[in-house]
Formats: sequence, C-alpha cells, structure tokens
Amino acid sequence: MTNDIPLAWFLYFAAASFAIGLTGVLLRRNAIAVLMAIEIMLNAANVNLVAFWRYGPPSSAQAAGAMPGVILAIFVITVAAAEVAVGIGLILLCYRRWHAADVDQYDTMSG
Amino acid sequence: MFQILFLVIAGLGLLAALGCVLARNLVHAGLFLVGYFFVVAAVFVMLEAEFLAAIQVLVYIGAVAIILMFGIMLTRNVQGDDTTIVVGPWRVPAMLAGVLLLAVLVFGINNAVAPAGQAAWTGRAERPPITDDPANPPGTAVRREAINNMGRMVGLELMKRYAVAFEVAGLLLTAALVGAIALAHRDEEEPVVPSASGEGARRAEPAGPEAGLAASGGRTSP
Repeated sequence: MTNDIPLAWFLYFAAASFAIGLTGVLLRRNAIAVLMAIEIMLNAANVNLVAFWRYGPPSSAQAAGAMPGVILAIFVITVAAAEVAVGIGLILLCYRRWHAADVDQYDTMSG
Repeated sequence: MFQILFLVIAGLGLLAALGCVLARNLVHAGLFLVGYFFVVAAVFVMLEAEFLAAIQVLVYIGAVAIILMFGIMLTRNVQGDDTTIVVGPWRVPAMLAGVLLLAVLVFGINNAVAPAGQAAWTGRAERPPITDDPANPPGTAVRREAINNMGRMVGLELMKRYAVAFEVAGLLLTAALVGAIALAHRDEEEPVVPSASGEGARRAEPAGPEAGLAASGGRTSP
C-alpha cells in the first residue's frame, strides 16, 4: 500500500485523546463524568497498543502470530468494564450517603 | 484516500471527546462518549483488527455506556446545572495540564529513539505487508493468518499462550461482579425484599468469595 496511513497519525490521535481525557478528569467534578474521561484515556491507550502491533515487523516466525497488542487490548477492555461496574457501585453508595455525586463533596477523610 | 478517511474519522473522534468532556448535560456527555467509542472502533478497523472493533462495540457501547447512563439517571444529575462541570479556580490549571501533556507526547512521538539495532519507527509510513512475496520477512504467512482469521487466532492464543492471564481476567470479572453487588446493596431503609426465594437460593451457595455477600444479604432479612 503506497498511500498508507503513517504510524505517527495514530499516535497523534491517541495522544490528543489522552490529553482530552486528562483534562476531563481534572475539570469535572461529577464522579460519573470523571469515569467517562477515564474511559477516554483507556481507549487512547488501546489505540496505541493496536497501532504498534500492526506496524511493528515480526521479529521471528514464532512471534508473528502472537498478537500481543490485540490480546492486551482485550484485557484492557475487560479491566475497564470491571472498573466501571465497581466504580458505579461506589458512586451509588456515596450518593446514597452524602446525597451528592460530586467528588469534591466526599471530604469526610480530609483533615 | 485512506489518509483522508482517517483524518475525517479522527477529527470527528476528537470533537466527540471534547464534547464528552465539556458538555454540561451529563446525558449529552454520555452520548458524545458513545460517538467516541464508535470512532475508536473505526480506527481499529483501519488497523485491520476487526475482531477488536466488534468487541469494542459490544462491550463499550453495549455495556459500559449503558451502565454509565444508568449511573447518571440513578444519581439524578440529568439536569445540567453549573455545579456539575467545573471547579472555578481549577479551570486554568486543568486546561494547562492537558495542553502540556499533549505537547510532551507530541514531542516524544516526533523525537523517539529507536532501540539498538532497529530502524526508527517515527517515519514509518507502511505497515508490514502480509502478501506472499519472497522479499517479505519470515512469519508473513502466520501474521496473515492472524489478521484474516483473528477471532479464531485470538481464541487459540487465549487458550495457549495467555492462559494464565485469561484465568486471572475471569477471576477479576467475578470479583468485580460480587464487589459491585455487595457495594450497591442496600442495608437499611428498604423494606424486605419480596423475592426472598432468590435471596435464599443465593445464600445457600457455599462458594468461598461470595460468603461476604451472603453475610451482607442475610443481614437485611431480620
């Protein structure tokens, strides 16, 4: 393929997504919005993993079919799903106790 | 052609991510997040990982986004009041942190150092070919099989090379399920659960990690 997409474009896209996600984590005060921004960051990492897997030349015949980037991306998706489930449970618990979903009102343990 | 398509898709994705971060209404933010997930699935397709794109659509859009929507509705923050978006004095430092992180990452991408004995990947414009060609490096046929038949190959890899990680992921999912139920379980202020038979059936299971859940479930009935 002559007019293929350069590898760096995928990395730029992932870097921009990650920066946006970090800004969202710092900017939002609603806990669920913070979870959404964390999901954006995890997806950016996944794009990087798959891009490096596809563009990296296989070192040997055995390693060519290993697909480490894809497998790791699948595990990241698994962990992200588990994290969202537990995170929503925690947020509901905190909402029931403090009647607020804002992260800066959970200040029971602050000195 | 591919480049124009990628630029359009990536631009839409970044706009969706910005909308998710900046939208005042949380439901709108969730819908922007769904759009971003779709864009990431499209990027996976452009990277020839169609199986991963299908998993992305199923898990993220089908499960994670729906759980987030339920969370939004259960915490009753659908109305986008001004208190849900931004802490005032933190606005400028947060934007500054994002811009600086982007600058650092772009600098790193542009000035990456290749490991010893390998060509730099910075200017690499072409992915390794998967067609039959004597000039290709070894393993091309295996990689072509992996790409064209990805679902089957992922299953084989999960059962052979990554079996331990697969089991650990299953254990993590079980722990997350039990933990989420135990966390969101109401202890007080709720009348007795009408479906007592289901509770009893779950309590009767002698599984080890669920003992804590069964204990917390047993506390509600008296």
